[in-house]
Amino acid sequence: MSYGNGQKMSFLEANARQRANWLVDEGSFTELLGPQDRMTSPHLPALGEAVSFDDGVVTGVGRIGTRPVFVISQEGRFIGGAVGEVHGAKMVGIFRLALDAYKAAAEKHPDDLDAYRPAVVISFETGGVRLHEANAGLLAHAEVMDMIQDTKGKLPVISLIGSKVGCFGGMGFVAAATDAIIMSPLGRLGLTGPEVIEQEMGKEEFDASDKSLVSRTTGGKHKYIMQDCNILVEDTIMGFRRALCDLLAQPYEKVCACRRIGSYQLVKEQMDLVALAVELNPGDAKDVWRYYGNEHPEQLPELETAEFLRVVHRRPKEVR
Amino acid sequence: MALQHLEFSYEGTPGATIPMEWFHSGVVGSGDMEVLLTRREQQGKVTVKVCTPVRGFDQVWDKVLARFVQESGCGDLELEINDNNATPFIVSLRLKQALQEARGGEPA
Repeated sequence: MSYGNGQKMSFLEANARQRANWLVDEGSFTELLGPQDRMTSPHLPALGEAVSFDDGVVTGVGRIGTRPVFVISQEGRFIGGAVGEVHGAKMVGIFRLALDAYKAAAEKHPDDLDAYRPAVVISFETGGVRLHEANAGLLAHAEVMDMIQDTKGKLPVISLIGSKVGCFGGMGFVAAATDAIIMSPLGRLGLTGPEVIEQEMGKEEFDASDKSLVSRTTGGKHKYIMQDCNILVEDTIMGFRRALCDLLAQPYEKVCACRRIGSYQLVKEQMDLVALAVELNPGDAKDVWRYYGNEHPEQLPELETAEFLRVVHRRPKEVR
Repeated sequence: MALQHLEFSYEGTPGATIPMEWFHSGVVGSGDMEVLLTRREQQGKVTVKVCTPVRGFDQVWDKVLARFVQESGCGDLELEINDNNATPFIVSLRLKQALQEARGGEPA
């Protein structure tokens, strides 16, 4: 499919490689450690599990305007996008390259760094650690977290969540630690996935087969109302690409202002939110939406994205 | 328990390879597969390596692959397949799609 037609494609339906290619400027994407390098998991064959030449993640570098954009794009159809040893190492490698590129850009363009500042973009589609190689997977999570801390004050790290699997488990933490999160209404973000909550707490607590319940608890619209997601876009590659380009066109400090955790003020905001939740004791996400001024919360899930963005009331930054 | 590695070789059409050095297509989803096509000058031969968790289907692979080579008229190629329980029909379809995409057409 051509780049132009690709832009109109559903982000959810595209595969990881298509997303990576079409998020950056046309023809600019170079895949690093791609299928031709045949870097498959060293652990899966012993368990009789199928392997993939890219270990379920597409990594590479492209351009948006004058700036290099380092892309990590997870493929949910391969073991649910779970992070194993090679998969995790590829993610870490991309961060290292981005930090090297930052150093080079800072030396070469000290007066005009914002135009040449590299960025890291992660399209999440994962449930976190790959249980078949859990130690290596957990270590990879920790290493990626470390790398994100190393980028602070240097280059933006942007999360894109609009895939079928969503972003759960340890990678939910990783997404939370990035500078900004862009989601579509179909994207889902959380720590403990719906099935796991049901398994641990029972169907009365959380019915994972209730799709609308799952959507209004973990979906993009809810995360947008709660300020856990910064930008909500339509489910097209173009929707994500435009939001990404607009965000990167902002001064770096503006992108950093999108962070949801990582300062005394933000921690206090989160703590106030927990206290408010205890006080309100909401039975459903809709109760919270109503509390924040949405008079007809039951209509919000049905609205088209543009209409939703026009009418929705989000949680104010000041919790009360 | 361990993964199966199967190898096959067919008389293809000399010169009927792909325009680039290599081409990749597909995702190793459940019931699906990926294939890496590599240009190889080997008197028209098409060599195939299959990596699959499924046992006991060597003859089915052979028949599906032989038919693909014959019907597509390809040659001078190496195919490397990572399979995750794809059915024979899916295998045929994915191989046809991969070759078509490699030759610059839209996927079927």
